[in-house]
Amino acid sequence: MSAHDVLRAATPHAEPRAGATLGATCAVLAKDLRLLWRRRASWLAAATFATLSVLTYAFAFDLVTDDVRPLLPGVLWVTFLFAGVVALGRAFADETEQGTLDALLVAPVPRTTLYAGKLVAYFCALLAIDVAMLALATVLFNVGLLTPQLLLLTALGAAGYVSLTLLLGTLGSRVHAREVLLPVLALPLLMPLLIGGVRATGAALDLPHGDAPWLWLLVVFTFWSAAASALLFPLAVER
Amino acid sequence: MDYLEYLFAGFAVFWAGLFGYLLWLQARLRALARELERLEERLAEADAPVPEASLASGEPARPTPAPPPRRAPTTERGAE
Amino acid sequence: MNAARALLGAAHAARWTALPPLTGVAMLALIVGAVIVAPREAVEGEVQRLFYIHVPAAIAMYIAYGITFVASLVVLWRRDLRADAVARAATSVGVLFTALVLATGAIWGQPIWGVWWAWDARLTSTLVLLLLFGGYLLARSLADEHDEQAARFAAIFAVVAFLDIPIINMSVRWWRTLHPQPIVLRMPGDQALPDAMLAVLAVGVVAVVLLALWLVALRADTEQLAQRAAALRAAVDRREDA
Repeated sequence: MSAHDVLRAATPHAEPRAGATLGATCAVLAKDLRLLWRRRASWLAAATFATLSVLTYAFAFDLVTDDVRPLLPGVLWVTFLFAGVVALGRAFADETEQGTLDALLVAPVPRTTLYAGKLVAYFCALLAIDVAMLALATVLFNVGLLTPQLLLLTALGAAGYVSLTLLLGTLGSRVHAREVLLPVLALPLLMPLLIGGVRATGAALDLPHGDAPWLWLLVVFTFWSAAASALLFPLAVER
Repeated sequence: MDYLEYLFAGFAVFWAGLFGYLLWLQARLRALARELERLEERLAEADAPVPEASLASGEPARPTPAPPPRRAPTTERGAE
Repeated sequence: MNAARALLGAAHAARWTALPPLTGVAMLALIVGAVIVAPREAVEGEVQRLFYIHVPAAIAMYIAYGITFVASLVVLWRRDLRADAVARAATSVGVLFTALVLATGAIWGQPIWGVWWAWDARLTSTLVLLLLFGGYLLARSLADEHDEQAARFAAIFAVVAFLDIPIINMSVRWWRTLHPQPIVLRMPGDQALPDAMLAVLAVGVVAVVLLALWLVALRADTEQLAQRAAALRAAVDRREDA
């Protein structure tokens, strides 16, 4: 049904090629946002998981130390990473199983467009979860976390995270134990994101953080992962 | 200050790792050889022209007893 | 172009003729060199001799992952499953050598640093390599040998992982460093390592790299055999169903 919309939007009329591509991109994006809304249960589960994670950390660390502030960057980024795995685990699974993806692949749309649609949709979902976690941690840890600087860091991290993890999410349904495999493959790849994110957050909170351009590490990693994934995605879904 | 036992342990781990890998590779090759043997057997059974062979192999899918033995060889030849 | 192809063909044929004896001789030379010829290191003592297998194993590891990268590109471009067999073989040998590098490093670190493990830049990035390519092997072992879709996915992951290595190395180096800095690649005259040690190290690099190449060749042929067996199994299954 949503594949049908995309096909209709991308059918070449008399209008110029660029216009058709733009229309198709919008159709794909609309489809992905609609799908995201329909499957809100899956990323609401991720949000619940993230909430529990932050609560558990706050409680457990409060038992052993008086000053939890130095642990905060680690708590936040580990929560982001694991919540993202839960949120993105089935990003392509339903469409692959129902054959929608195959229908979309024969549509005269650049395949990078299909990737961009998913990217934007899941970026919004993950960013919403992450910002909610920042708000929760502000209350629990009594530190002002909803600053523009931290929001920028979170957005950068979420963009890099989603672009790389979505590429891995195309893992074919014939591979068993896909849900377990995704974090096993994604987390080592995301090591620079974790280091850069934790250190940059530490810098933003005036914690000891070493003197390296952590923000630039995040920027470089995000651009690298977006470029690599956009280039490789057409190869990943090729039949 | 020479820590000879650590030197010995390091070299032992290195060689043990290499030999372990080779042993594992050998096990994989043997499993492959066994699988090829099994496939050869199955192929020989499928090739056997007389119906006794398929009777002996005890194939489960034979709800109608009469036609399959006569038809099976022709379809097989056709597939070749 | 033709010369390159002829050279490749000759190298391919030599894997069963020239490679095993050469590897054997070089490995013998490495043992003799590391244990007898090389002088005793003044500060660290005899345990420093682990250096002659540790550093070559690290170089062999990077070469193996380089082979994985090239073979994975061939899988993506040419859709050639034989390249997938080479990629799997090189990855598994790379993981083996990564584990050996970590193990010999830890055994050296205990007497010299006083700890088995430290979150040092090089140790961390090597551990991440182990996790990355161990994950590759895990993912690949969960699918059939001749499953082209799984092969393509594994190739994409290998390409991303290989391109990620410089970023990982950069990020952990900024993070912290404790590992001895390389003292081999310096200008002549500024050479920190005595000639005898350098010579043994060179022999070690040649020997371990040859060994790694031989293991990759062995494993790649095994994997190609496994692919043919899997295809044969599918054919026999189809035939029995007919």
